[in-house]
Amino acid sequence: MSFSLRALYRGEHSWDFIGVSRRVLAGSALVVLICVAAIFVRGLNLGIEFEGGGVWEIPAVSEVTTDDLRDAASDAGMSDARVQRISGGEDFFRVRGELAINSSAESVVSELAQVARVDAEMISTRTVSPSFGDEVAGKARRALIVFLILIAVYLTLRFEWKMALGALVAVAHDIAFTVGIYAIFQFEISPATVVAFLTIMGYSLYDTIVVFDRVKDNERSLSAKSRMTYADLANVSLNQVIMRSVNTSITSVLPVLSLLVVGSLALGATSLQEFAIALLVGLIVGSYSSLFVAMPVVAQLKRRESHWVEQERSAGVLGQSNAIEDAAAVLAADRYDRSSPPRPRKKGRKR
Amino acid sequence: MRRSHFVSLVLVVAFAAASLVGVLSAGWRPVLGVQLQGGVEVVLRPADEISDEQFERAIEIIRNRVDAIGVAEPDITRQGTQVVIQLPGVKDKQRAVDLIGQTAELRFRPVINMFDPYDPVQLAAVKEAMDPNQEDGSDNESSVETTEPQLPEISLSEVLTPPQQDEASATVVLLGSGGQAGFILAPAPLTGEVIAEAAATFQGQWIVNVSFNDEGAVLFDQMAAANYERQVAIVLDGVVESAPTINATEFNGRAVVSGSFDEAEAKNLALVLRFGALPVEFERDDVRTVSATLGEGTLRAGVIAGLVGLALVGLYMLLYYRLLGLVAICSLATSGAILWSIIAWLGESRGLALTLAGATGIIVSIGVQVDSNIVYYERIKEEVRRGRAVRSAADGSFRAAYSTIIWADLASLIGAGVLYQLTSGTVRGFALYLGITTLIDLAVSFFFMRPLVILVARRLVGEHPSRLGVSKKVQEVPS
Repeated sequence: MSFSLRALYRGEHSWDFIGVSRRVLAGSALVVLICVAAIFVRGLNLGIEFEGGGVWEIPAVSEVTTDDLRDAASDAGMSDARVQRISGGEDFFRVRGELAINSSAESVVSELAQVARVDAEMISTRTVSPSFGDEVAGKARRALIVFLILIAVYLTLRFEWKMALGALVAVAHDIAFTVGIYAIFQFEISPATVVAFLTIMGYSLYDTIVVFDRVKDNERSLSAKSRMTYADLANVSLNQVIMRSVNTSITSVLPVLSLLVVGSLALGATSLQEFAIALLVGLIVGSYSSLFVAMPVVAQLKRRESHWVEQERSAGVLGQSNAIEDAAAVLAADRYDRSSPPRPRKKGRKR
Repeated sequence: MRRSHFVSLVLVVAFAAASLVGVLSAGWRPVLGVQLQGGVEVVLRPADEISDEQFERAIEIIRNRVDAIGVAEPDITRQGTQVVIQLPGVKDKQRAVDLIGQTAELRFRPVINMFDPYDPVQLAAVKEAMDPNQEDGSDNESSVETTEPQLPEISLSEVLTPPQQDEASATVVLLGSGGQAGFILAPAPLTGEVIAEAAATFQGQWIVNVSFNDEGAVLFDQMAAANYERQVAIVLDGVVESAPTINATEFNGRAVVSGSFDEAEAKNLALVLRFGALPVEFERDDVRTVSATLGEGTLRAGVIAGLVGLALVGLYMLLYYRLLGLVAICSLATSGAILWSIIAWLGESRGLALTLAGATGIIVSIGVQVDSNIVYYERIKEEVRRGRAVRSAADGSFRAAYSTIIWADLASLIGAGVLYQLTSGTVRGFALYLGITTLIDLAVSFFFMRPLVILVARRLVGEHPSRLGVSKKVQEVPS
């Protein structure tokens, strides 16, 4: 097995994905375990959309400190206001806290405007009732369950249930990992982040479907007399699609990366940052999981089928050194068999 | 074969160009959401369970109020049990928030006088009658002298009572629901809370039966006695919905409103009476105001980030796929033109704004769009490496590649559909644009990318696979 980029570019690579899959799967499981533990131990930093409360964003145009603003907020009836100064691009203060029952959002705005010496119109506000978050979360949860059921049905109809299971395991892996990152670094979770999580799921599934489609396609083109194990079939297919996966990941990550770097660091638009972090992590993990989680899971399930057990036994008897390259040759030969009348000169050996 | 490719290519380019030019020349521009241009976004939820009919009526009332503020592109939609109100670019944000959240109150006001809102002489008289400074000192003679020269200066808005001063205890000047009649109205002795039931029935003509609760029966009789054979206006949200004449002094808790109603008018009045009587109280679930500067900053950041991202993707595709990279860039441009037209059209015809979440969906979809190209190109390269000629590889690989694209895109569409149906707000906006861009991807891949790739493969690549980014060492060419 060689890891040269040149070979990859030329399509001459033959990596044994399935051979290392047990170790990779174990590693992935460990990471997911850590992430889930982090979610339970550290908890999630939920935004006001889920907890209720208010956020006020005040442009920093005058000489005013975070303490001044905290005092102003408490004058307006907020006891535990948190004030941050956010700079980089546009410079502003963010005040977040629970509104006391007898005070109004308007009085907070006018108090803050007076202290910060800005026009009230310049202040951006957001107030959310505590029950709203439950509703948002409830809706998202319901949508998620319906979506997963539909996808499971869809994949079972299009491919088979084992592949549906593999795809869902990969999706669960991606979500656990991304949410885990949010728990570990205590990034704030907002509806925007939820959108990003959903995108990640969609992207991961999309990627996995492309891989499965190729495996199915190859499986169909195998002639009955070919000797090939499922692991070889999976390996050949994965080697065939890996460049697509790499390139798609790069082209998907580039806009998101630019959103993160240009959008939030250079121009200071924090609302863009919320999306970008989750997307970036999720996109990368999503491509990883369709190659290293979804397909290995399917391969483990499939090799127990009687047809593939038999194939494996006969392959074992023969013994082979270059299994993947041979398998690729067999596949190529079988493909030509199907698509055109028999040719006198066939590539590859037949055993 | 070759001709049909060419025709398809020309048609797609013509379609994309025509829709873009059409949209631009019509002056349609995408409507930007609250987060992208500043404004107010409010999510309301009824405090109690209410019927669909009540809900629709409440939304109608909110819409009327928003129209009264004068927002260019308001978006008011019911999403499940919530009303989502988006007022991008609204000037006086706090007032807008206050006005929307108000409970509708129905008031009965005795009519002092009526006037024609288009007659300047009458307007002047109304203004004078309402002016507290002149109420005491002026007599008939002097008023005639002063009104004549003032004529052109008095506009209708000077005369009408502004919404902030429309208190139940004040004497007010309001318009009828069509704006065709003006009313000077006395303070309201009772409000809609006293109405128990109201229904439109047909008894030779359309009438509205109203019944009051115990307290209301007493108050209504008192008002009837004081205003016998005079008009009493039914006022909802500062608009006179009807002004029937009182023709009895004892109602015993039941009244009949008759007039020259048609069916729709009678039913509408019954609705007004009933729901004014049961004010739908809304809780403000989510109130967001975004200052214009913050909105512009986000928009600028998003646009620059999007352009930089696109440029990087284009560069990468060119480096890796050479000539095919150029095709990918052309596909992106075509999709972009179609997408812009659709967004502008949605904004113009449906008042649907492009939100921050929607814009993110679009940026993400760049990846999906480019992926369709990559799936196809990798297939071609694979076939070429296996020894197939470039032209036949381009022709032959499309079927398998497009099938992959369809199945993968279908999963995205299922996701977009489920999210659009079952969620609200941010997530819903995202789902909409994800769905739209996925559909565009399916169309552009088939009608644009395929013919262009095949043409490029025939005309420009020929026997030089390196122009596709396939390394020169081609193993073996089958005979």
